[in-house]
Amino acid sequence: MEAKNVYKAYRIKGDKKEDTKIVQAVKDVSLQIHKGDIKLIFGPSGSGKSTFLRCMAMLDFPDKGEIYLGDQCLTKPGVDLNKARARIGFVFQHIYLFRHLTALGNVELALRQVLKLPKEEARKRALAALAEVKITDCCSKYPSQMSGGQAQRVGIARAIARNPDIILLDEPTSALDPELTGEVIDTLRDLAKEGTTMLIVSHEMPFAKEVAEEMIFYDQGTILETGPPSLFFNAPNTDRAKQFMTRIINRTTR
Amino acid sequence: MFEFLFDPKYYTWILQGLSLTIEITLFGVLLGLAIGTLLAIEDIYGRKLSRGAIAVYVEFFRGSPLFVQLFLAVYTVPAILNLRIDHYLLAFLVFGLNSAAYQKGYMKGAMQTILDDQMSAGLSVGMSKIQTLRHVILPQAYRIVIPSWTNEFCSLTKSTATVAFVGLFDLVSAGISIRAWTYQILPVWIVIGAIYLAWITGFSKIMDIIYERKKIPGVELLMQ
Repeated sequence: MEAKNVYKAYRIKGDKKEDTKIVQAVKDVSLQIHKGDIKLIFGPSGSGKSTFLRCMAMLDFPDKGEIYLGDQCLTKPGVDLNKARARIGFVFQHIYLFRHLTALGNVELALRQVLKLPKEEARKRALAALAEVKITDCCSKYPSQMSGGQAQRVGIARAIARNPDIILLDEPTSALDPELTGEVIDTLRDLAKEGTTMLIVSHEMPFAKEVAEEMIFYDQGTILETGPPSLFFNAPNTDRAKQFMTRIINRTTR
Repeated sequence: MFEFLFDPKYYTWILQGLSLTIEITLFGVLLGLAIGTLLAIEDIYGRKLSRGAIAVYVEFFRGSPLFVQLFLAVYTVPAILNLRIDHYLLAFLVFGLNSAAYQKGYMKGAMQTILDDQMSAGLSVGMSKIQTLRHVILPQAYRIVIPSWTNEFCSLTKSTATVAFVGLFDLVSAGISIRAWTYQILPVWIVIGAIYLAWITGFSKIMDIIYERKKIPGVELLMQ
């Protein structure tokens, strides 16, 4: 999967007309991710990481630039975006489970509606996905009856059940407390071991060190620096990245 | 005083009238739900032009008396079109269109409380906008809208009394006729009023039960 020179701006409406601001969330960002790669995007909040990820999944339309999935260009007019999105898994920061469905129903829905699997087959695949994130005991619970960590694992199961080519994860743990973060990270670690292709926005540094092949420092709508975790943990080249890493590492060790 | 209740002639009138009242109300409210849902979707996703058209539609049906709408439909429209159309059918349509104007607002409000995140989630798993609306947004919106819908049902039931003025035999027409034959005024209207009260109370209770049964566990906290 590849992003080529992607731009995305959005407008924030103020109380008065002159307060309306245009925010350049993504400025000329290019990124490649190959099968089996695990890449991690990090950077200050509000820098446009989420917007960029949503553009990759075509949940937001880039203003300029191209997104490729395999050989297919998704930003061309006339592409069946629903088909393309079916090949991309997405995990949301705020989880966004279907609130009227149980855990099983959440995972099953796309298998039935998108892959058009027969009922039994869909159920089997959904249960397998839930087993993969170790959460079969929550099958018949509704989202509001689960803890944040359980809900997010169901979110991950929903994303992987279709065997997508790639999974995009938008800060999957930042809405959870440290204890729950642990269980979600364990799940992601398992996925990493199986060779799942993942692009993750996250600030979980120990996890990044362990699984990421490449880390991408994203600031003010653009990629400032890329490199293996060792680069960032030892001596990042840019001052911005240096500052940011010091602050993050101090926070985690304190 | 209430002897007329035991006279077969009069109670058949009451039953006839009641069944028309119920028919018009149920059909009107259901047609209103169907049209209201479509209008709500179009109002959220449609172009400026169709949103404008919907605004005009809603203002017309909310802003003018139902009685006037009914008169226009039954006497003016067929005359202009030079057609003979069944009054029953026209009354059904007017109530459906009128109710849709209100129900569009309820549906739109309910959909907007869930639209942002649930639509993203639906698209992210590869469903189309229409599939997401059908399998995710509408099932939740309908649950949210049940209490408003019950209100709409109560007020529409009583509005159907206006059909008495275009020659249809509803519950109020039955009352008028019985009063004319028996010269009883207060007892007749007490009985008619009590029937409305019982029917509306019963129906709302059923809707309350459905609302409780269909409630998504835990979600009521989110909606407060």
